Amino acid sequence: MIRFGEILRLVWINIMENKVKMMLTSLGIIVGAATIVLVIAVGRGGQAEVADQFKNLNAGAIDVSVGDGIDMDAMFAAGGMPGGMGGMPPGGMSGGMPNMGGGTRGGTGGMSGGMPSGMGGTSSRRSNSARPGSTRLDMEDVEDIKTFVSGVEEVTILQSADTTVFGGVLEEEMEATVVGVLDNYDTVSNLTALYGRFIEAEDNETNAYVAVIGYSLAAEIFEYAAYAYGDYLTIDSKNYEIVGVLDTMGSVSSGISPDTAVYIPYNTAEKYVFGGQESPKITAIASSVGNVEQAMTDIEAILTENYPTASFDVTDAGSAMEAATSSADTLASLLLAVATIVFAVGGIGIMNVLFVTVQERTGEIGILKAIGFSRNAILLEFLLEAALISVIGGVLGVLLSFALIPVLEWTGTRMENSVWGWVLALLFAVVTGTVFGFYPAWKASRLNPIEALNQE
Amino acid sequence: MEESAKHLIEITDVHKRFLMGDTVVEALKGVSLTVDEGEFLGILGPSGSGKSTLMNVVGCMDTFQEGSYKLLGIPVESLGDDKLTILRNRLIGFIFQKYHLIPKYTVLQNVMMPLLSRGMRYEDAARIALEKLRMLDMEKRLAHKPNELSGGQQQRAAIARALVGNPKLLLADEPTGALDSKTGKEVLKLFQALNDQGHTIVMITHDLSVAKSAGRIVRIIDGELYKEEAT
Repeated sequence: MIRFGEILRLVWINIMENKVKMMLTSLGIIVGAATIVLVIAVGRGGQAEVADQFKNLNAGAIDVSVGDGIDMDAMFAAGGMPGGMGGMPPGGMSGGMPNMGGGTRGGTGGMSGGMPSGMGGTSSRRSNSARPGSTRLDMEDVEDIKTFVSGVEEVTILQSADTTVFGGVLEEEMEATVVGVLDNYDTVSNLTALYGRFIEAEDNETNAYVAVIGYSLAAEIFEYAAYAYGDYLTIDSKNYEIVGVLDTMGSVSSGISPDTAVYIPYNTAEKYVFGGQESPKITAIASSVGNVEQAMTDIEAILTENYPTASFDVTDAGSAMEAATSSADTLASLLLAVATIVFAVGGIGIMNVLFVTVQERTGEIGILKAIGFSRNAILLEFLLEAALISVIGGVLGVLLSFALIPVLEWTGTRMENSVWGWVLALLFAVVTGTVFGFYPAWKASRLNPIEALNQE
Repeated sequence: MEESAKHLIEITDVHKRFLMGDTVVEALKGVSLTVDEGEFLGILGPSGSGKSTLMNVVGCMDTFQEGSYKLLGIPVESLGDDKLTILRNRLIGFIFQKYHLIPKYTVLQNVMMPLLSRGMRYEDAARIALEKLRMLDMEKRLAHKPNELSGGQQQRAAIARALVGNPKLLLADEPTGALDSKTGKEVLKLFQALNDQGHTIVMITHDLSVAKSAGRIVRIIDGELYKEEAT
């Protein structure tokens, strides 16, 4: 049988004889290969984006906020159930008071004497606002978590909201994320100061008008981040001295991007900026990742004890990271599926053209069979032709993607080009060409030489 | 064995039937034919006589339902598609009415094809093809594509391709059919010269004047062979 190299030479002559046609044939493959490279670049870009966002995040971080939903169990417990009240005399239930079983918020004045035993073992330390929606976490909860949850090394509380700020080179007020934090927030969120310092304990104790500003925001307001340090920023019509500028962080923690945020003392924020309108969040850091789950359970138990009618969203950074990563992965595989469809369409294009080619070249196939080309030789020739067109298409597609990636990057999509994407694109191209080229090639190889010759 | 080795072609009582729509057409009705090495045989017949079918059978491109065909003692009817392909490549050189050169290859490449299909290297095949083309005064046309040549030149290239593998049998199907009479005569002269060099030639034609170049003529009419006097 004919040598492989010689078949390849014949295939090459063929392709060179029909450059334009081959180019059009491989158009589907070119687009498919470019799509694969782009899709993988976008997918990897998304994953890298997630990784970047979480890079400063403490894996042991646990975020706690008051949930929107109403905890039905808590409602039932508060609904005046007669049983299980630890031998509380019925008389104690005067005034139709909600009946607080073990572990509730203390009743208001209506909880007149005669029911102390009912409250055994728990401390309901504060007044209850019966509406769960108005539950607010506060410093006492922070202290409780510090005291009662063993696997936690740092606990902090913060509140944040978009607030008008003014200063620097700004010509008009703008909105920025203002965050009220404790002095340990920089430790919790791995923030480091480029200039100056972070919020300190004393700032909180004195409700000081000081602010620490994120790098990008500082650059936006003051033209250069360095100018911000020592200058003043107007937040909600009050002047704050900027005592620190943060490094570029790139990450997001507790839903806040530090680069575009302003940090002020928690008490100052509570008192002068938010005025109790914002719902504070607690962030706790587990002493080790292994403790996260237990700490989450304990924190929820303590908070439920403090606020039995409220529900809480307790999330850990690890899960959030997993969720983000998995959604990035889902996106990547979705895009890959789209690219595969593009390839299939390209493959069908190849198959169509090859069928037409086989028809056009019926005479040639007849001659070759008459003078000694076996069925396998013909099959191989057509299959190699399909594969070679695909490889050329694949290479052109990868080259095309080099041109397209900067365009997409310019539109703001993060792209991570990789050899892995090129290899996959070429692999897909060859497989597509070979698979879709097989049937026409097989048909060609089975042609009857007499009929083939007569057709010419 | 000795008997069959003597004849190059030994066809015995071959029947070939086609299904055309619903009717069965018997194209060959018990054809027997022997051709010895060194012979130049003309098969003469009008269109529809079954001569193309006979040509395909002799050329090992078509099978038949009854009878036997030994080519150089090899029982052709027992061979499958791929073995027939090898047999054609080794033993038969085809010359067609319409030359059947492959348009995208050069003259040289066209002539090389039978050798390449044997697994020969390109350089070796090119060397042998060049020899044959030189023999046929075609060495100035090596790099031309078939459509750049005259009909006579194309047929010479086709003859070179038929000869390149040193076949035992040259099988020509209306070799002058597409040529003007002057060029046709030159081709026939070339055939006689090749026959004088010892090549066995079977030529199929509908034209008695063409058939007369052959050393022996048989007529085919309605799928049956009749002997013709020697010229």
